[in-house]
Amino acid sequence: MSLLQGAIAANRFGLGARPGEILAASSDPRGWLKAQIRPDAAVISGDGLMSVVQVFTERRQAYADMATSAVATRPRSTDPAAASNAVSPGQQAIRKEIQKESRDGLLLEVQARSRQAASTSDPFAERWARFWSNHFTVAARNAQLIGIVGPFEREAIRPHVFGGFAGLLGSATFHPTMLIYLDANRSIGPSTDAAQRRKAGLNENLAREILELHTLGVGAGYSQADVIEFAKALTGWTVGGQARPGGGGQGDKLASLQARGQARGQARGQGRRLGQGVAVQSAALELDAHPGQTVFMEALHEPGARNLLGKTYGGGAKQQAAVILDDLAGSPATAKHVATKLARHFLADDPPPSAVDKLQAVFLRTHGDLAALARTVIDLDEAWGEAPVKFKTPEELLVSVSRAAGLETAYGRDQRTVYASLAQQPFSAPSPAGWPDTAPAWSGADAVMKRLEWANNVSQRISAMGSPTDFLDRALGPTAGEATRRAVARAESAQQGFTLALMSPEFQRR
Amino acid sequence: MTKAFHTLNRRSLLLAGCAVSLVAVSGSAGAAAPQSGGKKVIVVILRGAMDGLSMLPKIDDPNIHEYRAALIDPKAVPLGGGFALHSGFANLAEMYKAGQAAFVPATAGPYRERSHFEAQDLLESGSVRSVTSDGWLNRALQRAPAAYSAVSIGPVQPLIVRGKAQVASWSPSILPEASDDTLNRLMELYDKDTMLKASLVEALGAEKVAGKPDAANMSSMAGGGRSGPGQYVPMLQAAGKFLSQPDGPEIAVVSLDGWDTHAGQNQSLQQRFVQFDAGLKALKDTMGEAWSKTALVAVSEFGRTVRVNGAQGTDHGTAGAVMLAGGAIRGGRMFGDWPTLKPAALFENRDLAPANDARAVFKGILREQLGWEQADLDGPVFPDSSAVRAMPGLA
Repeated sequence: MSLLQGAIAANRFGLGARPGEILAASSDPRGWLKAQIRPDAAVISGDGLMSVVQVFTERRQAYADMATSAVATRPRSTDPAAASNAVSPGQQAIRKEIQKESRDGLLLEVQARSRQAASTSDPFAERWARFWSNHFTVAARNAQLIGIVGPFEREAIRPHVFGGFAGLLGSATFHPTMLIYLDANRSIGPSTDAAQRRKAGLNENLAREILELHTLGVGAGYSQADVIEFAKALTGWTVGGQARPGGGGQGDKLASLQARGQARGQARGQGRRLGQGVAVQSAALELDAHPGQTVFMEALHEPGARNLLGKTYGGGAKQQAAVILDDLAGSPATAKHVATKLARHFLADDPPPSAVDKLQAVFLRTHGDLAALARTVIDLDEAWGEAPVKFKTPEELLVSVSRAAGLETAYGRDQRTVYASLAQQPFSAPSPAGWPDTAPAWSGADAVMKRLEWANNVSQRISAMGSPTDFLDRALGPTAGEATRRAVARAESAQQGFTLALMSPEFQRR
Repeated sequence: MTKAFHTLNRRSLLLAGCAVSLVAVSGSAGAAAPQSGGKKVIVVILRGAMDGLSMLPKIDDPNIHEYRAALIDPKAVPLGGGFALHSGFANLAEMYKAGQAAFVPATAGPYRERSHFEAQDLLESGSVRSVTSDGWLNRALQRAPAAYSAVSIGPVQPLIVRGKAQVASWSPSILPEASDDTLNRLMELYDKDTMLKASLVEALGAEKVAGKPDAANMSSMAGGGRSGPGQYVPMLQAAGKFLSQPDGPEIAVVSLDGWDTHAGQNQSLQQRFVQFDAGLKALKDTMGEAWSKTALVAVSEFGRTVRVNGAQGTDHGTAGAVMLAGGAIRGGRMFGDWPTLKPAALFENRDLAPANDARAVFKGILREQLGWEQADLDGPVFPDSSAVRAMPGLA
């Protein structure tokens, strides 16, 4: 029985102790953590939330309504360009409604995820899932993405975090949200007819970030030529039903052409009259039939074998990218990259090489078995040092205070500005590299002042919940040092005591 | 080192009480009178690879129309020398005509790969290959010719200012502040926590200078709270407030995110250029007189491909364009060389070739504007860079 080890399990490996959790974890801290390595523990139920397919289906219906509204109300104009760009009040209303639904959908996703973090009794599994979600970052960067970043984490990440790394990599890569976020849905094999006709072509973004961020890691020895080859192998993978006014990528253009044709009640031969050809027409139908699903369009795939990292990948068009991904998932460079990130997350900003080596070896020996990696992380003696050294990210801080206070959620409508102020709005990481996982990114003067303002604010709300010294015991147990205990005990008010507890060096770290 | 901001405010007492520990943190002596003669430098980092060829198209280069006709702003304002400025930069065009802005086209750091994150790290680290744990501006401050100080604008402390020298930081705040008593107690609690103590001391100094944000700034923060286009104006304005304080810092660093335009580039750049331009105007207005002695340099980690990609965007490239602005800039002209866009001149047959080194621009500004020694710039500040001469005549 070790309360200290229990506190470490709950705070460093978990998401911050809920009342009673330190005690519960103390009898067998490692066993308590390992019992959370269950596929169901990392999943969030989709009840009341929308899948990507549902989001796309609804959106397409709204756009169809918009097109109808356009036909009905479009003002007459002698300038055809102006006429087709004009937006009627009816269209504006529908567009606003679509935007509102996307924002509401995102809020529901963030709230569900926040409830899970605040209330789960499997906090290690939740931390593990969030680690992988950050590894495969997508962000609500534009209107199209706002509604589908939440479903991405629930559909592509969470069900796979205790399976094999290759499986997780494949499910993240081929999920519609990732294809859209990293522009793969708009990438077309440069020598295909489709590219020639539309003067469109390759987009390297997804290929590059997979190599650099998701698998091998920067400096692992791949070249620009490898990026291009991989990007070509990924062409053809796109997302169905991306109809929207104005359109952008291949799916959009094909499908919106189709939608317009339908809306005007014209024959489906319109595409042909525009010189698009029969193949394109059937491609449009294919995309149209799968809204919000990943579709492989051979007509958009760069034909031929690909040479990548010294290996030739044959022309089995649909399998090509998946075979490359499997090889990347098994690479020692990937093992090293993932091992380093895991060690950094659980141990220290500069993790000891011994820990990285152990994780890398397990990754290679088990072919990327993520459950085995989770057990290895827990069994690293280096990870059980007494002093908390990892500076919490803003989100970790907010989650841990919710848990310590026994709240059911860490995100209400009013919390939006708090997250914004602390610079970590969920699903808005500034780049595909995800949120930083080291202290210097979060501990600048301004950031600490924002934390203090937040702590001061939240302590006003929780100060009615009891004494700050009890709070300190519940949240930190024996991890709370003498200076912090003294400062909290001598506070001039309960509210000040809570502020000091939340801002204490021990609570700011894990 | 840190220079306390000497503005009198209700927290100045608290700051004065921290003076001893401050020295312990920074390992340096206290504040000195300003010795830059009021000269200021602003470094703006445009994260995500800003497309220099869209900001500053070389419209008399016949190849540009072949490679990227769809990405050339038809309303771009001719600046002379065959260059034009994107019409989103209406205020900057005025500054250029008034001799207060200039450009260094076809510029890159020593990095020749195409990873944003590695490129930004190297740009800020100032080194050629391996990333250092401190930034070049921080190392420069440690060897400053006078008691210079710097402030970083934005919620995240960028690598360029990280290191031994203390650098203040600031971003708009939206919550009520804690009481002085709470601050005093917290300061005591952080007695042995170097990291948190240093940050808190710095923050107290910064807070009173920039003040609280207005409502308009707050609403734009709600969008994600980092430094996207909605933040360009308040962040540049805040930099201006800091620098124009009596006894304010000499240097400000501002990070503006959101320049990675892989798709639909024209629309997204239009918005960003307009916001950036509005920010430059706000900066100039905020600084008032001090603008006449200011040199701003805006740089991105690399440029973008010369050709349009399949999605009306561009991919990661090599050389970009550096923007210079401010009354101290010898403006109304282009600096450096232009490699042309002839097929044979392109870097790896895809990117604008780097004809100028970003470090030469940084060195030129530091040297001419704030008087750094060449030996310091060539060695500790930008390691292994003696072959890269400071670009002359910028300021």
